[in-house]
Amino acid sequence: MKILEHRTLPFALGALSVFALSLPVQAALPVWDDDDEEEEEKEPIPEEEKDRFFLIENAEIHTGTGEVLRGASLLGKNGKIVEIGYDIEIPGRDYFTDVPEDEQRFRVQVLDAQGMRVYPGLVAISSSGIAGTSGDFRDSVDPFSQTMVLGLATGITTTGSGRSAVKLKRYVSHDPPLPYDFDGIVLSEETYSTLSYSSASSKRSLREKLERAREYMLEYRQWQVDVKDDKELDEPDKKGVDSNVLAVLRGESVARFRADDRGDLLAIARIAQEFGFRPIIDGCREGWTVADELGRAGAMAIITARERRDKNESLVRDGGSSIENAAILSRAGVPVAIVPGTKGVDLGGIVGRDIMHLPIEVGFAIRGGLSEELALASITTVPARMMGVSHRVGTLEVGKDCDLIVTDGDLLHYQTFVQYTVVDGDLVYDKEEELFFAHIRPRPEAPVAPETKLDAGENPTEEEASSEEEGGDEED
Amino acid sequence: MVSSTLLRGSICGATILLGGVAAAQDLVVQCAKVLTVNAADEVFAPGAIEFTDGRISYVGPPREVASGIPVHAEPTAWAAPGLVDLHTHIHTGGWGDINDMVRSVNPGLRACATVRPDNRRIQLACAAGVTTLFGIPGSGTNMGGFGVLYKAKATSSFEEAVIEAVGGLKVAQDSNPQRRAGNFAFGNNRASMGWILEDVCRKAFGALRQGRFDFALADLQRVLTRELPILIHTAGGEGVVNTARMWHRELSTRCVISHGSFDGWKAAPVIAEWGVPVNHGPRTMDFYSSRNGRLNGTGAAYQEAGVPNFSLNTDSGVVDQEQFFLQGSMSARLGADAYQMLRAMTIHPATAFGLDDRVGSLEMGKDADVVLHSGDPLDPRSHVLRVWIEGESEYEYQPGNQRF
Amino acid sequence: MILNTMLMAASPMLAPTPAAPDLLAIKVGTAETVSDGAIPHAVILVEDGKIVVVGEDLPIERGVPVVDLGPDSIAMPGLVNAYSRQGMDSRGSNDSNPGLRASAELYPAYREYGELLEAGVTTLGLYPAGNGIPGRAVAVRPRGDDRGEMIVADDVYLKILLDANSRSKKMIRDGFEKADDYIEKEQKAREKWEKAKEKEEKDKKKKKDDDEDKDDEDEKKKEEVGPYVPPEPDDDARTFQELRDGELRALISINSSGEYLHLIDAIEDEEFDWDLRIPVNRSLNVFYVKRELGELGCRVVMEPELSMHPNTRRLRNLPMELSEAGARLVLIPRSDSVTSHRQWREETGELIGAGLERDTALRAMTLEPAELLGLGERLGSLSAGKDANILFFESDPFEPGSEILAVMLEGEIVSGDLN
Repeated sequence: MKILEHRTLPFALGALSVFALSLPVQAALPVWDDDDEEEEEKEPIPEEEKDRFFLIENAEIHTGTGEVLRGASLLGKNGKIVEIGYDIEIPGRDYFTDVPEDEQRFRVQVLDAQGMRVYPGLVAISSSGIAGTSGDFRDSVDPFSQTMVLGLATGITTTGSGRSAVKLKRYVSHDPPLPYDFDGIVLSEETYSTLSYSSASSKRSLREKLERAREYMLEYRQWQVDVKDDKELDEPDKKGVDSNVLAVLRGESVARFRADDRGDLLAIARIAQEFGFRPIIDGCREGWTVADELGRAGAMAIITARERRDKNESLVRDGGSSIENAAILSRAGVPVAIVPGTKGVDLGGIVGRDIMHLPIEVGFAIRGGLSEELALASITTVPARMMGVSHRVGTLEVGKDCDLIVTDGDLLHYQTFVQYTVVDGDLVYDKEEELFFAHIRPRPEAPVAPETKLDAGENPTEEEASSEEEGGDEED
Repeated sequence: MVSSTLLRGSICGATILLGGVAAAQDLVVQCAKVLTVNAADEVFAPGAIEFTDGRISYVGPPREVASGIPVHAEPTAWAAPGLVDLHTHIHTGGWGDINDMVRSVNPGLRACATVRPDNRRIQLACAAGVTTLFGIPGSGTNMGGFGVLYKAKATSSFEEAVIEAVGGLKVAQDSNPQRRAGNFAFGNNRASMGWILEDVCRKAFGALRQGRFDFALADLQRVLTRELPILIHTAGGEGVVNTARMWHRELSTRCVISHGSFDGWKAAPVIAEWGVPVNHGPRTMDFYSSRNGRLNGTGAAYQEAGVPNFSLNTDSGVVDQEQFFLQGSMSARLGADAYQMLRAMTIHPATAFGLDDRVGSLEMGKDADVVLHSGDPLDPRSHVLRVWIEGESEYEYQPGNQRF
Repeated sequence: MILNTMLMAASPMLAPTPAAPDLLAIKVGTAETVSDGAIPHAVILVEDGKIVVVGEDLPIERGVPVVDLGPDSIAMPGLVNAYSRQGMDSRGSNDSNPGLRASAELYPAYREYGELLEAGVTTLGLYPAGNGIPGRAVAVRPRGDDRGEMIVADDVYLKILLDANSRSKKMIRDGFEKADDYIEKEQKAREKWEKAKEKEEKDKKKKKDDDEDKDDEDEKKKEEVGPYVPPEPDDDARTFQELRDGELRALISINSSGEYLHLIDAIEDEEFDWDLRIPVNRSLNVFYVKRELGELGCRVVMEPELSMHPNTRRLRNLPMELSEAGARLVLIPRSDSVTSHRQWREETGELIGAGLERDTALRAMTLEPAELLGLGERLGSLSAGKDANILFFESDPFEPGSEILAVMLEGEIVSGDLN
């Protein structure tokens, strides 16, 4: 009943007449909200406040949770995923379906991904040059950066930058234009506490800080109990307590170490177990030699699969790099995130070892025995978790950000290209629209429907017919 | 079929009884797919390869094997020829001995003097399926010396590993060793580099005609008489054309253009017309020189232009030798045909350098340089299961001990 | 001088005037008015330094001196370069100096002003040096013995340079904040004064009601609450309030599409008049926000220069593209040198050849910059009532090698002659 009422909301003269016609009907309705009716007579909604839908259809959707849906659709609304399934309809698109409350008009972009796959937008745990700036994102980002475009062309939608986790938020020129969302760039500002535990002095220093922090925590806990009896009791003295270390022990921040040698890795594993925190270890080259200990300590590793270093011949035990590093660590229960050897974009001519070839690096981890599932996780869920942003990115699930990529084949095959990239429900990269790769195995035709403005008040049959045409084959 | 097999088997058996004039197979390898990379591009799925005395004695669909003959069956694996890389610098085990410079041109120097066949890099290369390498001096001077053709048999001696101690000449004529004007001793810009090279060739020709033995020029003469091939490092459109003009059209040597990077690909039609092979790499993409806004797949460009025996290289360690196959994968990514890129790392370089009687494809009579892969040899996700060089197992995949 | 002789020859009854002739009619083959299109066989009537009328084949009264420049001759408005530092030499700082005026720096004896006039530039917008917010620009005629004679209008725009960093954006935000602070401060002061006034009234009233027992001395000591005097705003507050009130406009320099977005972010909801200065360099990428600039319809001050699409050798005509998208083009010479001013028309001619509409180009060098300087009612086109700043040519002004026959500044021929 409310449906009819909303459908007759005033927009143009035509709509007004429809509204008038429906009045006798409304009188007969048992549920009638006067307030709504008054409000809806206002002026048209400004562009920024209109709902924006993004619908992708006929795709093989790899959600990143282990699920694969074929011939499926995904609907994003205002940058978030609202539905994943089959035959998704946009509310209000069909005359007799529920129109969401407060929605009078909205924008729709439809992408027919027939014959293509959809994956979550990739997460690079670290990179260089693809986020549009390295400093203050709010005030110095360049949303037109060409290296950002290359990052999007690789399929990367979120990356670590310094201690922040940020999106590759390329500016999209809408018609009419929409303001750029500066606040939506940074997902998380202080994702890690970088700690050092390699030299003798840094080891001593860190141990001291951990002990002091632990001492403080115990004192604090005791104070929380005591203060109930004695309200005047002062908080324990925070002198000498390192705030970073305290945050790690309290679980507010994740400890990140840089270490490659077996000895250092063992030391980190032990101190992590002793003080009760899960360390991220960047590099972890000889991790394969102490994988079990690292697994027990709950460590997480950031590795480069192809890294090659001969073992130190003066040492007796196993060492050096191993192509099986990622696989061995994974089997010991150490989540692995993967980075390439060169963290930035390299256009010098030697192909395959920079950030643009992140999936190729993952391919080498598979060569060394990593399973295909964990391989995808190494560039989606694991880095998202490491940076504390897995509630927003890393998989395609309802409620998460609408960040996805459309590929012309298996993401991890060496000839597969990203055809489209979507960030926050906006199409930010189309392979055929950029000069970089359009000449390589060009797409036969562009299945993207131009933006269609759907008005709840206009003739719905006509609207429906035209949007189906643009969307391509939906039945069959 | 069965009868003929039995017949062959009995003949073999008979010959053994007669005192072993013709040997039985040393090994039979059976697998899911055999990529012969021969002239007919034959693929046998499933397929089998038989080794006898270090050579391939049979390649084709699997057939019955006489009992007692060892069979290595890998039902899901692909077999491909060992890769052939014509531009490598891992023969010494490091960068130290690569650029010896006595004079501005050094035709008398030989890389074979610096080979350490058992060095770790060769071992790693072998584990990644690279079996034949041309180890050459660097591009410190216009003429670095003669390179050594060898097999990646890491546990062997020099004699066992080396095919040809003096395998071919290395010349560098563009980008390296180009220096600023004034450094006449070691090659300036193109004009003086060209002069330096022509000068030494003239001297060699002169000695040849006079029948005078000149130690330093003796091997160079063999290049000028087309007995030995020559690999020339050159780059850019102009560099590539200049090199081809000098060494192919004027001096008529058996030359192979090496690198041909940056916008060298734009000269590909001319090079194809002149019929000069190109050995391309380590750069297989150009963005800055071509300046059309594209990431241009240069390998694809050369190959499509019809350059004869187009091949790829690593210029190891600029690109790690074990990642040789990736040069093919990446060229395929950027537009080339993947199978042609496999040819570019096997039969094409072998033919360009006159080695195709021994290596480059899985054909009867050739060296048994066979690599078993767990899948597509160009896919980084595949790993190498086994490598045989001249019938001997040089690498075996062991989980926990995977070399690459 | 020559004109005067002519006049005397034509009409012995007219008294010779030392400066601008009272009345003069000039016939040209085409008058490019800019405001009303190109008028063929035009007659331009000039009196007392102003254009009286421009029209096709206007009848001329007997006694009015006439100059006929021939059927191939062309007249156009004097060139206006709204963005220059010709004749200025201070260096400026990196801070915010919104109260600072370029006019304070004027040096009328600068020799090159004469050459600029010869090159056809009859109005200049001179801006202060420095980064951040350097201050206010001044519109001058390139002629005069002292500053007063040169200045046509002061405070024509506030120059702002925006970079993509927090310090730069903060300068703009802070400026408006200071204006807000001042409003608050002023309000408080007013309230305080009102309270004091109230109290005074109360006391006076109380005194009347009470007996005359009060101590007169005490009362004398108490000062009277005088009229309300608002507190003095500082430069920032004053300037940004002027922006808000529409009394001052801003010219903001940006270098890229990214900086444009940062500008919009820094401005937030503040409404004030602003235009953009976009220097054209080889890899300028403002075409990404063509649509946005077109929607705004703001002015873009650019050089007549072609650029290249990034990473390619493909040429792009960005002044043309932005103007076609809806932005209002203002052109300035490729470099701020006398030579470049001389070549300015030819430089623009190149861009016309590359696709820029001739009418747009013409307007971009005359009326549009005049309007940017707030002088659109006064000069920049050949229209009735405007200053007689006119250039005369015997061929298309945009053709390479075309020479100016004469330059008229406010009715007076200051360069060349009309013979």
